[in-house]
Amino acid sequence: MDKMSYRDKFIQMNKEAKATWIIAFIIIAYWFISGFGVYKMAPKAMILNMPAWFVLSCFGSWILSMVLVGIITKTVFKDFNLDDDDEEVTK
Amino acid sequence: MSAGVIRMLPVIIFFVVLLGLGFYIQRTSADSKAENFSKEYYIGGRSLGGFVLAMTLVATYSSVSSFLSGPGVAWNVGYGWVYYASTQVVAAFIVLGILGKKMAVVGRKVDAVTVIDLIRARYDDKVATLLAIVIIVFFTTTMIGQFIGGAQIFSKAMGIGYVTALIVFAVVVILYTSVGGFNAVAITDTACAMVMLVGMFALGFSILKAGGGLHSVTTKINQIADDYVASGGTKGSNMTSPFGEIGNADGGTPYIPLPLYITQWMLCGICTMGLPQSTVRCLSYKNSHAVHRAMVYGTIVVGAMMVGMHMLGVWSRAVLPSIPEGATTDTVVPTLIANYMHPLVAGITIVGPLAATMSTISSLLIAGSSAIVKDLYLHHKEATNQEIDQKKVATLSISITFLMGIVAVVFSIKPPSIIVWINMFSFGGLQTSFFWVMLFGLFWKKANSTGAFLGSLGGLAAYCITMAAGIKISTFHNILIGIVVALILFIIGNNFGKPLDEEKAKIFFPEQEPAA
Repeated sequence: MDKMSYRDKFIQMNKEAKATWIIAFIIIAYWFISGFGVYKMAPKAMILNMPAWFVLSCFGSWILSMVLVGIITKTVFKDFNLDDDDEEVTK
Repeated sequence: MSAGVIRMLPVIIFFVVLLGLGFYIQRTSADSKAENFSKEYYIGGRSLGGFVLAMTLVATYSSVSSFLSGPGVAWNVGYGWVYYASTQVVAAFIVLGILGKKMAVVGRKVDAVTVIDLIRARYDDKVATLLAIVIIVFFTTTMIGQFIGGAQIFSKAMGIGYVTALIVFAVVVILYTSVGGFNAVAITDTACAMVMLVGMFALGFSILKAGGGLHSVTTKINQIADDYVASGGTKGSNMTSPFGEIGNADGGTPYIPLPLYITQWMLCGICTMGLPQSTVRCLSYKNSHAVHRAMVYGTIVVGAMMVGMHMLGVWSRAVLPSIPEGATTDTVVPTLIANYMHPLVAGITIVGPLAATMSTISSLLIAGSSAIVKDLYLHHKEATNQEIDQKKVATLSISITFLMGIVAVVFSIKPPSIIVWINMFSFGGLQTSFFWVMLFGLFWKKANSTGAFLGSLGGLAAYCITMAAGIKISTFHNILIGIVVALILFIIGNNFGKPLDEEKAKIFFPEQEPAA
């Protein structure tokens, strides 16, 4: 648990929100490319007897989301007290 | 035992467990409720852990449509509908990651119990009252929609009358919600999410078994698509195309054109962040660790459910090649359950969609009640400096929750067309009126009350009017119109009215204040 001032918490939370936006847009981009992109290039390709574009986009976006959320919650997101108890400690 | 009784058994057990949880929680939280009733009853005293937070968020979000209408359409359209539904994989982490922590920190600072409390603290009374009314109207109509959907599945699966089914199932959900409050809602939501997953796996297993295994099932789906192409787009549907072309005399029309996909990313992706039934959960968790874990768990479960259930809808086409003339695709899942499952498994599976319905209703009910009691009534008392008796608040809160549920049930018996009509706008309407208010409120210091009021009201009006009049831009969903109009009016409004005062700026934007 990091000790942070109220102000520092907001700087940190803005970073976290930005990271969330970034991974959301990565997922959207991946979703478009793996779905419509793969369908355009190889409409007949199959994985497990199902259309390749379907498997890559639906399961792919889901797995990618889990991985990216896992990464940002481990690296960008920080644990801190949500109450402002330790406010004065850091000043 | 007859098949009917065996099928009923899991449902009865499930109902008893839910009621038990509701009453148990009511007893255990008695002490903290005596101190501050609203905080305990409406957000569970900010005590949710990561797992329960994730489950209640996902269970609230996934409604009767994710378990019934969605897979039904997938049965008809094919893999494209799964692709369409898969935009929802972001729905769990985006609200927690972007709004979640700021709402928790500011919510504690200003002691917010509801989303409206937070909006009142950031903007002014006018904005708060407007949005409290939006919540009451749309939550009530959505609840009615869910009651109708839930009662339909329940009556079909059990072979009992619609009204009987409605009353039995409504009494359970209204009782545990009104008695137990938010904590009961969160815990029962978690139970519901678990049952939904179990129901989904049971359904998948039955479909694969009846269809002769994965290869045989998928081969039949591919065959339907091949037949469509061979017919020159006149027969069947192109189930392996992302656009899901439906055969007709014109040589096939895409069921899901590209513009619809783009707006789907708003309606069921990014803009779900505004939904107040989701954001209120950001005020209810206990620490930052909980929200980090909930982002991961929520993403796992929401993806499994959305991709899983809709894919099962596609697969079920191999087992159920056609439905009776005139029947809607909503009947696909109940038919599968009734015809292809052992009664006991059917009983367990039917609990899945029921759970999806109940978990949505309970959350809307408790949040709707908070809008009436906390945001309108108690606020009025505080504003006029009247004394607040915690015991009276308790009786009032429980009664209002109960009454609101009863009103919704009464309307569900013979739903007036106006309600069905309003319900069509509720999901997008809530997003249009809340999205920018929440996002700008927490991230844009220049956003002021005039902008928020104008944006919410104007966006909502634009959305509802264009929806009602059938005005469309290309094949885009009208959420695009609502969100864009709301944004433009918000920005225009910001140029009028007062900027954020210093007191509020210190709470909401300390990072933009000169360092102390």
